[in-house]
Amino acid sequence: MLTRASRWSRWAISLLALALGALLWQAVASRTNPAFLSSFTATAARIAELAANGVLTDALRSSLAVYLTGLSAAIVIGVTIGLVLARVRLLRVALESYIMLLYATPMVALIPFIMSMMGFGFAPKALVVFLFAFFSVLYNTIEGARSLKPEMLEVAYSFRSGEWGVWRDVLVPYTLPFALTGIRQGIGRGLVGLVAGEFFLSGSGIGLLIMQSERDFDVPALYGSIVVIAVLGAALMGVGRMLENRFAAWRGLAR
Amino acid sequence: MSASDLTLAEVRPAWRSWLGRDAAARVVAGIAILLVWEFTVRMWAPAFVARPSRIIAMFPPVILAPELWQAAGATFGAVLQGLVIAFLLGTLIGVAIGRLPLAERFLQLYVNGLFAMPMVAILPLLTLYFGYTGDARLATVVFAAIFAIIVNVSDGARAVPPEYIEVSRAFRGSAWSRLFDVILPSSVPYLLAGLKLAAGRALIGAVIAEFYASVPGLGFYILYNTRSFKHNEAFVAVMLLAVVGVLFELLLARGTARFLPWYRRDEARD
Repeated sequence: MLTRASRWSRWAISLLALALGALLWQAVASRTNPAFLSSFTATAARIAELAANGVLTDALRSSLAVYLTGLSAAIVIGVTIGLVLARVRLLRVALESYIMLLYATPMVALIPFIMSMMGFGFAPKALVVFLFAFFSVLYNTIEGARSLKPEMLEVAYSFRSGEWGVWRDVLVPYTLPFALTGIRQGIGRGLVGLVAGEFFLSGSGIGLLIMQSERDFDVPALYGSIVVIAVLGAALMGVGRMLENRFAAWRGLAR
Repeated sequence: MSASDLTLAEVRPAWRSWLGRDAAARVVAGIAILLVWEFTVRMWAPAFVARPSRIIAMFPPVILAPELWQAAGATFGAVLQGLVIAFLLGTLIGVAIGRLPLAERFLQLYVNGLFAMPMVAILPLLTLYFGYTGDARLATVVFAAIFAIIVNVSDGARAVPPEYIEVSRAFRGSAWSRLFDVILPSSVPYLLAGLKLAAGRALIGAVIAEFYASVPGLGFYILYNTRSFKHNEAFVAVMLLAVVGVLFELLLARGTARFLPWYRRDEARD
C-alpha cells in the first residue's frame, strides 16, 4: 500500500499541522479574553495536572466502564439479531421498516423518558449508550443480509452444506464487513450517547468534568477535557476503521 | 433479493412497495410490537409511562394545541438555518481541502478529528460563548452538521476524474468555470451523502442543545413534559422528530434517484 517513505512523510506532515495548530491557538489566545479561550500552554498544563492528581484518569475510567458495557451489548445483540434476521426472511421483511424508523429516530429524545423511568446510576447511562449504538449495528447488518445473493446459498446447498455450514462459510463471512461498518458507526454514536447520558442523566466521568469546569469557570479544564474527549473520539474511530480495513478490505469500501 | 426485485422496487413509489409484497407480515409485526409495548407497560411499569393506547388518546389534543407546533417551528427552523450555513461553509472548505494540497495537509487532520468527536461535548463551550440562548442551539447545529459535509465534499472534490480537469484546461476554461462547471457538479453525489448525514446530526444537535440550554423547542417540550409525568404528550413530539428524520431521508433518496439516476455509490463517510 504505502511505502515506508511516504508513511514517514505523512507522519511528519501531521506533526507539522499539529504544531502549527498549537501555535495558532497560542497566538489567538494571547489576544483573547482568558474567560473565553485559554491558551494552548495553560490547557496542556491543566490536562497534565488533572491527570497527575487522578481526576482525569478516574473520570476516564468511569466513562469507559459505561461506554464499553453499552457498546459491547449493542454489538453482541445487534449482530446476533441481524444474523438471525438474515436467515429468516419472513422476520426480516416484517421488522425491517420498524428498525429503519428507529435507526432514523434521534435517540437523544428518549433520554428524558429513561431518566424518569430508571432514575440515576450506571444502568440508565449504559442503556443510553446501547440505544445510540444498537440500531447502527443492527441496521447495517441487516443491510448486508439483504444483499446476500440467493445464488450463494444455492451453491452451498448443492454442496450439501448443513445449517451450521451455511452460517460458518457463507452468512457470517459475507455479513461481517457490513456489520463492521455498523460497528464503526455505533462506536461514534455510542460516544455521543455516553456524553449525553453523563450530561443529562447523572453527572459522572468525563461529561461531569466538562460540565463542572464550565460551572466553575475553570476555562483551561473545560478546553482540556474537550480536547481529551476529541482525542478519545478520534482514537476510537481509528480502531473502528482499522477493524474495517482488516476484515472488510474485499468489499472495497473501507478507507 | 434478485435483480428483478430490485428494479421493481425502484420503479414503484415507496409506499406502494411497502404495502405490496409482504404487507401482511409488516402489518402483523407492527400490531404485535404495539401490543407487546402496551401490555408490558400495563403489567410492570408505573401509570405515567407512555403506552400506545394513551398516546393515541393524547394525539388530538396535542396536535390541536399550539405549543407543539411552536416548539417544532423553533427546532426545525434552527435546524434548517444551521444546515444552510453548514452547507455553504462546508462546501467551501471541503472543496478547498479536496483541491488544494496545502489546505489538505493542514486541515485534514483537524477535520477528521472534529468529525469523530461527539458534538455534545462542546455544548458547555458554546453556552459560554453564546449564553443560554437560541444562538447556542444554532451554533451546535452548525458544528454538528458541518464536518459531515466537509468530509464528504472533500472526498468528492478529490475524486473528480483528472480527465475532466484536463478537458476544461484544454478549452482554456477559467478557474472559476472549473470550480462551478466541473468540480462542484461532479461532487454533487458526495454532497448529498454528506447532507443526509449532516441532517441527522443537526437534528440531534438541536435537541441536545435545547436540553442543555433550556431553549424552547421540541427537545425542551419533551424534557418539560416528561418531567411533569406527561410521557404520552412528550412521545408525540418524539414521533414528530422521527417522522421528520425519515421524511428528510426519503426526500434525499427520491431526489437522488430522480436527478442523479447514474448515482449508485452509497458509501457516505459516517
